[in-house]
Amino acid sequence: MDPTISVSKGCFVFKNGATRSNKKTPTKRKRSGQESEATSSLLGKEVTSQPFYAAYTECWSQLQSHIVQLQTESNARTLQQLVEFVTEGGERVGVGECSRFATTTEILPTAALLTGINQPDHLKQFETLTQRLHELQAARVCVLQSRDCATLKAAVESMVYNLIEALSAGTADTQLDDEDERDRDRKRLRRSQCTLKQLNSWYANNFGAAAMKRALVVILPDFECFNASVLQDFILILSAQCGRLPFVLVLGVATAMTAVHSTLPYHVSSKIKLRVFQTQPAPTGLNELLDKVLLSPKYAFHLSGKAFKFLTHIFLYYDFSIHGFIQGFKYCLMEHYFAGNAFALCTNYSQALGRIKQLTHDDVETIRRLPSFRPYVEQINDCKRIIAVLTDDDYLKKKLPQLLRDCLLHFMLFRCSLEFFTELVGDLPRCPLGKLRRELYVNCLNKPITQQPEYKECWQMLSFMSKDEFSAKVSKAIASTEQFLSEQVVPLELGEACADVMRKELQSLKTLLNDVELATMELQPQASDSTSLADARPLADLKQVASRQQLKEQLLQRSKQDRQQSISEYARALNKILDHIETHLVLAHLRPLQNAPPLHELYVFSDISTVRRNIIGAPRAALHTALNNPHFYMQCKCCELQDQSQLVSTMPDLSVVYKLHLECGRMINLFDWLQAFRSVLRAGEEQDELEPAQEQIDPQVQARFTRAVAELQFLGYIKMSKRKTDHATRLTW
Amino acid sequence: MEKLCAALNPQFPCREAAITTLGELIGDCNEAYPPAIYLFGHSGTGKTALTKSFLQQCQKQQNVHIAQLNAIECYSTKIMIENVLDALGMQQQTAENMLEFVEQLRSWHERDPRCGFLIAIDNAERLRDMDANVLPVLLRLQQLTSLNLCVLLLSQLPFEKYYNKTGLSEIITLHLGQYNKAETLRILSTDFDQVRQQLLLLQQQQQDAQRLAICEKALTPDFYSNYLNLFLSVFYKACRDVPELRLTARKCFGIYMDPVLDGSVECTDVSRLWRHIAGPLRAALTQIYMRIEKPLGETEIEDQSVRKLAQSLELPYYGKYLLIAAFLASHNSAKQDKRLFVKNHGKQRKRMQTVNARAKNAEKMSTTLGPKSFSIDRLLAIFYAILDEKVGLTCNLLSQISTLVHLKLLGFVSGEQNIMDGSAKLQCTVGLEFVLYIGKVVGFNVRQYLCDFM
Repeated sequence: MDPTISVSKGCFVFKNGATRSNKKTPTKRKRSGQESEATSSLLGKEVTSQPFYAAYTECWSQLQSHIVQLQTESNARTLQQLVEFVTEGGERVGVGECSRFATTTEILPTAALLTGINQPDHLKQFETLTQRLHELQAARVCVLQSRDCATLKAAVESMVYNLIEALSAGTADTQLDDEDERDRDRKRLRRSQCTLKQLNSWYANNFGAAAMKRALVVILPDFECFNASVLQDFILILSAQCGRLPFVLVLGVATAMTAVHSTLPYHVSSKIKLRVFQTQPAPTGLNELLDKVLLSPKYAFHLSGKAFKFLTHIFLYYDFSIHGFIQGFKYCLMEHYFAGNAFALCTNYSQALGRIKQLTHDDVETIRRLPSFRPYVEQINDCKRIIAVLTDDDYLKKKLPQLLRDCLLHFMLFRCSLEFFTELVGDLPRCPLGKLRRELYVNCLNKPITQQPEYKECWQMLSFMSKDEFSAKVSKAIASTEQFLSEQVVPLELGEACADVMRKELQSLKTLLNDVELATMELQPQASDSTSLADARPLADLKQVASRQQLKEQLLQRSKQDRQQSISEYARALNKILDHIETHLVLAHLRPLQNAPPLHELYVFSDISTVRRNIIGAPRAALHTALNNPHFYMQCKCCELQDQSQLVSTMPDLSVVYKLHLECGRMINLFDWLQAFRSVLRAGEEQDELEPAQEQIDPQVQARFTRAVAELQFLGYIKMSKRKTDHATRLTW
Repeated sequence: MEKLCAALNPQFPCREAAITTLGELIGDCNEAYPPAIYLFGHSGTGKTALTKSFLQQCQKQQNVHIAQLNAIECYSTKIMIENVLDALGMQQQTAENMLEFVEQLRSWHERDPRCGFLIAIDNAERLRDMDANVLPVLLRLQQLTSLNLCVLLLSQLPFEKYYNKTGLSEIITLHLGQYNKAETLRILSTDFDQVRQQLLLLQQQQQDAQRLAICEKALTPDFYSNYLNLFLSVFYKACRDVPELRLTARKCFGIYMDPVLDGSVECTDVSRLWRHIAGPLRAALTQIYMRIEKPLGETEIEDQSVRKLAQSLELPYYGKYLLIAAFLASHNSAKQDKRLFVKNHGKQRKRMQTVNARAKNAEKMSTTLGPKSFSIDRLLAIFYAILDEKVGLTCNLLSQISTLVHLKLLGFVSGEQNIMDGSAKLQCTVGLEFVLYIGKVVGFNVRQYLCDFM
């Protein structure tokens, strides 16, 4: 492998030499084998043998299989319907041939799959469909992308080619003579020979017998991108062939059915029989993914609130791409583990115990350098123990299991409490804290939630609820938390410990809830201490404001006191249970990240700036930095700048020209520009031979200038003006 | 020839005249065929089906080679020639161009001079766009090959649309007119036997003896033609395409039969049956031509209103804003941008002239005139102006523009090739109502930023 040493920052693709040869030799090696080979060749032995890499691959493979499983489950219904439709369509055509009615045979069965706007994402979905159909041996499938179908000729050719050629390799038929037949077909076939006539004869050869009838499925994954006239003709051709070949058309529609109706005029749409299928919308898919996989208590790896929000933000605000989200998440995972072998501890508890022994001195130092380690050290009050923790690796290693256990337990409890909390505040009117688990997760992790105004609003709403409503809500929350505990947490390692803590809380909540249910609405003169204290504090703060406000405050206070005096038993019980929830669940378990137990950094990824820099491309900004401040990338001594707008003659010509052009308006006079360029260059040189150069421009300087301007034009910043001679137009603003 | 007509007439009711004419022209392969026949008429008048059966009967009864092809399939001359030769039974021969094609046919003459050739080409209007020699050669093919050969061209256009500069030889034209109401009724009632069989089969499958008995008793030709009368009274004004009508009639007949089968309505009680079927028929009328097949159980009719559409369209947040920005860019003139989007744009002096001009242009509102083009720079500038938060100009954002283009919500007007130098012009293709709803979803008042509503 060549080393990747280069001045420019970029992405280097190393083609894995094995792929090509693998195709030629028909050895049936498993994909996973190939993959691991590929990655090992990319990263090298020294990385893959590290413990953190092992931890990473394990974690990722678990996550990935979970994600894949989830996605197949959620797509299963639509997929099943589609498969049924296709097989049914194939049969129907077979029957239609027998009936005498010519009109019915010319109608093409068509499925329109409303996929959602991210078209690249859905290619995968169609791949699964293809696989499924091939497994069932029910149909031959051809995925036809709009880029292959610029003209009708190209469309038909690539369709025929794909149906006959490309897939015959994928589906190994059991019958030998069949395969021979296909081999002969393949040898004969050139691209220009791919006509419908060819397809007809191929179909007659291979599937001529009635028992082997197979539907020919043509999938157009990006319906909107097709040229309308090509598509119309294409559909007409397919429908004309329908009597002889059992075509089934599948359209991937990204927007809505109106797109189909507006693209296909009547004489075309009368030839198809359209059935609409709806897939799961992308945001629902993402929520499911987040709830079931990313927020599952199964995994030790967590995203911090900010990182989590960042990834969902990309999804919701930019592209709706679930695939993109998963890749972003994977990047975070890689970044997390790559930070060092200490992060190999980010697994389940028993494995982590094994890995503690493998830690070297450096790794232990990494742990000591974690920000949350310091509060831990500070809270130890024994001097000797502090020294031991800071210097003695073995001592720390002995301490680690307990710390890790605390950490893991904390995250589990966090998750359980989140379950309860979501149920409690998720469906309040206007959802002040958000109604989805992911929003609450972000809110809880980012800041101490009890101090936020939204939280107070929620609490107020809860206390205003009627008795029936409230008790129903809380008991529902308790039930769902219990269900969550028994279904997801208990089977896990440490799950019992977590469940024990949680059940105790829930039990006490239940007794309190019982009190609430039994409480009457009768007034009682006594005020509870906790509420009056809580109220008194903000009032004391507000005494200092302007007089009118002061009056208002006092009035408010008086009314509050009135209310407290006339507080009912129910209200008191309610306050009690809310206080209990706040102190025992929210404050105890839904702690923000900065209050999490020591060493939580091992489990939580929060380095958002790196991820942002690496997964969001900002080409314009990068180019600007490169041209405006070449030192940033070149790291050379000569062009270090004190000030961003400074012009130094040692900078590359292109950079100088760029910075000069930034000062201009829309039109740039080339001569003035050249003069400025020359003066910048000359400022760097000795000032002594200033006089002779005044009139005559050095041809070398002029050449450099011309070249730099040409480069700038190549980069798309300027364009030579046609209207005004010797002027260039700026294309950026 | 009589045999031909006798075989075809029951298959094609109301087309007796056309069949006779065709039979007189090409009914006997021992007589000389005319060089070419042009059949035209609207869709659903039976051109293709009639020709197909006619040719098949000819082949069955006489020594005739036939070829039927669809001009749409023939995207190159070579494919058309190959298809014709194939269908005529000359697989081995290949022909690259028209000349070789004619040669091939000629060679046939020596072998078997007495057999006839019939070539039917569907969607013949496409031949005009093919190589310039195709249509003239086809029209003179008899003369060129000296075979007893006739080319039938089928199309929806009258032949006048084919004339070009070089001129074409004369052709016999045959018009298949649209069916009138009585004829349509007669054609649709030929379905009766099939419908009856189908229904009986369905009842047998469900094994409901009572329903089966009712079904057998009630299903008479009279009953069916009654139904068709009702059906046509609703549909004939909207649609005269026989296959479409036939399809819808069959679909609705099940609903019509339901109360009869339940035993709730007597099969002779036409007025009650009418009351029962009127609603579903009207609903079916809105669905006609759409060919949307609903799976069983899901019968709710899709709401096609713009509001529904705009709400159901899932776009990322910035995607929605980009769409709004594109709409604003398309429907405001660039001169007004400063006034609309810059906070301190200065005072606009109100002059009598401008007031008058605006009053005169009231009917020429730019929202009703259609979208104007805009550059990507302007789109982004407006996008940043209407968005409250600060967003970086990242790849993800820029790729949103191309996503919108892919979804056909924006369209390139010009300069699709040179996006790089900034001269590409885009256009917003969605309507005002749609954008208003999108704006409502993200909480943005679109009207406020449109010049027309200032």
